[in-house]
Amino acid sequence: MAEKTVFGMDLYWLNFYGLMILTLIEVLAVGANLDPVAESLGTEEKVITLWILTIIAIPKFIMIAAIFMHLYGDEDSGILTMTALFPAFFILIMVLFVGLTHPEAASSLPDWCRPGTYGL
Amino acid sequence: MSDADHHPSAWGPHDWSHGAPHNSWSPFILSMGVAIFLFSLAATFEWGEFQGWGNIPLIFVGLGVVSFSLLVWWRQDMSFGMHGEIFEPKSTGTPFQNIDIRKVAMWMFLMSEMMVFTALFSTYMRYRLGIPNCKTVFQSGEWVEGTAVTCFEPAGHLIASSWFHIAPGAINTFALIVSSFTIVQALRYAKKKDIGEDVRRRKVTRYLGTTWFLAIVFLTLKMVEWFLGFPLPEFLHEYNHGDSTIKSLYAEGFLINADNYQHHAFDTEYIEKHPEDYSIPEDSALYAMMQDGSHQGGKMFANIQVSATTFYVTTGTHGAHVLGGIVGLTYMTLKAARGGYTPDNAVSIEYFGLYWHFVDLVWVLVFPFFYLY
Amino acid sequence: MRSRTKGAIIAIVAVTAMLAIPSAQSLPGGIAGVQQAGCNCHGAVPSDTVVPSIEGLPESYNYSETYDITVSFKGGPSQEGNVNQGGFHLWASKGSLAVNDATAQLYNENEVGHTEAGNDQVSWTLTWTAPATDTNVDFVLHVNSVNGNADGAGGGTSGDMWNKLAITLGGPVEVLDEADPFVVLGVLIIVTATLLAFTLVFVFYRKDPEAFDWDNFAPWLADWLTTTDHKKIGTLYFIAGLFFLGVGGIMAMIIRIQLAVPGNDFLTQEQYNQFFTLHGTTMIFLAAMPMINGFANWMIPLQLGAADLALPRINAMSFWLQPFAALLIFTGVFSGHGADTGWTGYAPYSVSDGAHYGTTMWAAGQIMLVASSTLTGINFLTTMAVMRAPGMGWMQMPLFSWSILVANVMLFLSIPAFGVGLIQVYLDRVIGTAFYDIAAGGDPLLWSHLFWYFGHPEVYVVILPSFGIISEVLATSSRRSVFGYRSMVYALAGIGVVAFIVYGHHMFTSGMSPTLRFVTMLTTMLVAVPTGIKIFNWLMTMHGGSLVYRTHTLWALGFLITFTLGGISGMFFPSIAMDTHLHESYFVVAHFHYVLVGGTVFGFFAGIYYWWPKATGKMLSEKLGVLHFLTAFVSYNALFWPMHRLGVWGMTRRHHTYFVTTEEALGSLPMEAAGWNMFITVSGFIFFFSNFIMVFNMIVSSVRGEDAPDDPWGGWSFEWMTSSPPPDHTLYKLDDGSWGLPTLKDANEHIANEPGWLSSWFQRLMVEDEDKGEVTH
Repeated sequence: MAEKTVFGMDLYWLNFYGLMILTLIEVLAVGANLDPVAESLGTEEKVITLWILTIIAIPKFIMIAAIFMHLYGDEDSGILTMTALFPAFFILIMVLFVGLTHPEAASSLPDWCRPGTYGL
Repeated sequence: MSDADHHPSAWGPHDWSHGAPHNSWSPFILSMGVAIFLFSLAATFEWGEFQGWGNIPLIFVGLGVVSFSLLVWWRQDMSFGMHGEIFEPKSTGTPFQNIDIRKVAMWMFLMSEMMVFTALFSTYMRYRLGIPNCKTVFQSGEWVEGTAVTCFEPAGHLIASSWFHIAPGAINTFALIVSSFTIVQALRYAKKKDIGEDVRRRKVTRYLGTTWFLAIVFLTLKMVEWFLGFPLPEFLHEYNHGDSTIKSLYAEGFLINADNYQHHAFDTEYIEKHPEDYSIPEDSALYAMMQDGSHQGGKMFANIQVSATTFYVTTGTHGAHVLGGIVGLTYMTLKAARGGYTPDNAVSIEYFGLYWHFVDLVWVLVFPFFYLY
Repeated sequence: MRSRTKGAIIAIVAVTAMLAIPSAQSLPGGIAGVQQAGCNCHGAVPSDTVVPSIEGLPESYNYSETYDITVSFKGGPSQEGNVNQGGFHLWASKGSLAVNDATAQLYNENEVGHTEAGNDQVSWTLTWTAPATDTNVDFVLHVNSVNGNADGAGGGTSGDMWNKLAITLGGPVEVLDEADPFVVLGVLIIVTATLLAFTLVFVFYRKDPEAFDWDNFAPWLADWLTTTDHKKIGTLYFIAGLFFLGVGGIMAMIIRIQLAVPGNDFLTQEQYNQFFTLHGTTMIFLAAMPMINGFANWMIPLQLGAADLALPRINAMSFWLQPFAALLIFTGVFSGHGADTGWTGYAPYSVSDGAHYGTTMWAAGQIMLVASSTLTGINFLTTMAVMRAPGMGWMQMPLFSWSILVANVMLFLSIPAFGVGLIQVYLDRVIGTAFYDIAAGGDPLLWSHLFWYFGHPEVYVVILPSFGIISEVLATSSRRSVFGYRSMVYALAGIGVVAFIVYGHHMFTSGMSPTLRFVTMLTTMLVAVPTGIKIFNWLMTMHGGSLVYRTHTLWALGFLITFTLGGISGMFFPSIAMDTHLHESYFVVAHFHYVLVGGTVFGFFAGIYYWWPKATGKMLSEKLGVLHFLTAFVSYNALFWPMHRLGVWGMTRRHHTYFVTTEEALGSLPMEAAGWNMFITVSGFIFFFSNFIMVFNMIVSSVRGEDAPDDPWGGWSFEWMTSSPPPDHTLYKLDDGSWGLPTLKDANEHIANEPGWLSSWFQRLMVEDEDKGEVTH
């Protein structure tokens, strides 16, 4: 794996350059004034930035995992990728159930089930 | 070697030609150290208030005991592969046949690490979505000067506000990516069979040392960003509202006990004076209220403890993982300098590298969501 | 040799210091309070010539009545022409004191002293209001007497004497001196630990009576403290687990004494809170989990045909985190300010000022337990994934191994959520972060979510290994292979997955998202399906076999009954409407004790009787075993079955007492409830003591038990191929009579080699077998 080349370039170096460029784009995207773009799309600048950041984070994630962490190209890559993806279901459940459920539940309780109200 | 020597001292060093160590003091002592540390830390601070110097020595005793146990562990492991004694059991069961057991174990460990950060991110999401954003609250006009309102102030609001504030975080991002790269380079040279032993030793040491150095840089810049701040050269002052320093988050008042936080973006008088920096949107409730005189304007006081807490604890947990990496890298650099890595046991670098890349991966998520957004 | 001894001594000193520090700091008034040391500014020794007295106190007080009392003294340093004068300090343990004039001042309602103006008196008048309950009240009076000021030559400070007087006053009903439940618990723990230490020394003595001295004992002990051998660590886990099972049992008995009669005040509300908190925490984390790890450590490598676990030093680490974590959790007991949050530690109470200081230590100890469980999970998953004997595919693993596999998958994927929650609580309490600070917008429900995301898989983590043990025991006792092996495996895996999406049923009344409530209601009902499959498979196993009634068989049969009953009562809770009614009642207590004691602990007992001969090489007495089963099974059902009824009547859990009445009034129980509670307490004590039959059985077996054959029950998994007990470095007796690591050759061998459609799809992802192609690394 270590000596693999793509387009005549060393894979590790290529990956490294790619990551640097993507990160640079991220930082620039935050610094740049995207208001005109946002207005033309009828939304806020923050939303545009978030979309750019999320979209860039995904290839970065894959590049590090696949090449630096040897989840691509080695003879044991297949099963180890499966191992790494095993918690995906449980991560999804936690994000859905813990992260995204009705965050204001505690403060928006109806009056009749707050402590001190036992008017039976 | 006589039969009695197959059970070497539980304090190390270990003879790896006879398999894994059979006895070690390290687990016992490490557990004791962790318990002492957690106990004395809780005795020193209560609700964030300092309880006196009495238990400070005990904190250091705890850390000392932990360090001592790590030294025992290292002493047992340092001999691994040093003199050609390799103990690298391979998997026998499907579907992992012939993969090193250590590699499988490392991936199992990373699975649980994924869950740790998922829990932290879930906490963040819940609060980020559940508590109204400070900017929204400000523009809604539902606040009075002098009374704190509870709202969520993302650290990104401070950090992404100028190029100077984002500098430590951005440099850190690059530092981690470069360190990810240097560690695979270290692995590559450790695996190379066609180079001389001396060349290999120097290359591996240099690359591991660079990784170690970049990890130190990461934590140093973190301290700069959290607590220290940094001065600017004079020609840049004009881009920083004439200030000569970039304030740390601490100096900005972005703190876990900030129940009375103020920011100039939430100050109508400042906004009126600096229309080029900020403006109140004309369609916002605050604008309308100030126009018809039903809102006095002034400074909004915010209780941002939850935002600061999620920021510091999540990025701090990541920082703790970097610190753990530094502990490992210190050992590996020393071992590399003594010529401890050969093509036969180069995989040790790969397996530490898995952890190190994982720390980088987490940063890939932490950076946009905590620093930029 | 010497360095090892030194290490052991350092460790012992450190542990002792850690125990001593909290107890020294936690006395309410500090050690040097006035009651203990006297007026130490006026000389060290009390003097008989000073005679203090308190007048106006009755023989026994009436509830809440106010008494005028006069405190006075006579005598003191005598000098011609001078009157003795001085000051006083009075402390009353109960009731409240008040002052009448400027000569005395009130420190708090239990303490008064003289003022500057009252410094030259011989008597002072005060009032004392009696408490409203029956209790003995202690009065402690200190007076000091000096020469009057008429002596020109510094008489006011010279010749200064003091004395003290202690009086105990009874209430309208005479009560005995109260035993402090914490002292009872502390003493019992220390007695148990001392017995354990004596046993340890005795075991060493029995090993070689000739070599009974420190020079031999130190390395022997050091070997146990540093070992990485899976069998030794398994034994350590068992010692820890059984010890804490006893400690948790003692706490349960103290709770039952409190609840035996209505309106009891053996435990105060505050003490009761700490007792049920520590009972739950101890039983789940310090008794059940170590015992599971004990079984797993002993049997997993043996069943897989492996030499040891994959990561032996990490295994030692997992174990040693637990005793030190236990020390942290129990600091509260020795300081009297233990965690009082319930084992669930719900926010915001757990991060409020009202919760005891011990809650911080409880969180700290739990963080260490989380670390321990994570390491255990990594270790066992790796072991089972990579170290199965050649020929043993996933579907040839014994069911006990499967149950440990699924349990550890659940454990180590869910416990990070708990760990993060605990770190949040610890940081909130220590450095003042604001995760659960409601004023700052913190959300207490977040803790419930994080806790139950872990907590529900956790209760399956403690029950699944018992399923595994029962499968092994029933198959061996029925002298046939278990019915429906594949469905058993899929049921286990199904329970493992479903566990993560049902946790919301613990939070139906917490104000959680209604959508999530509805989802978890449906998924919870789903749990009954895989569990039902398992129950019917066990029944079918016995149906097709011919049962041999050994002690472990009896426990397995008992398990089937009690666990099914517990499972059925569990099916009441998924229904939101039903749950709202039964929530926090004794019906819940009955349910989870039926599954955790009748399920988990009965499974453990079956496992202990089943594998004891293998682990120790000695047989247990069948007679004592059957006696243990009969007494324990009957008293266990008498203990927990009536709780269902109490729950339906409306008896709430986590309340330190209850009241009965003949009238229909809100919050009161019918008169029969008192009788049932007394019945439960008596049954509880019988159950508690019946388990000592097993301890006795173990001791008798170790001292003079028969030697066990390699395979006493006719089992056929790999552990029965080793000798009893297995040699230090495990070897198995192979077919050709030699000793080595085994290969699985069974009738279903083709299953391992001819993959089905799913595995053939997976096969593309797998590493090629060595015989199919050269693998380079």
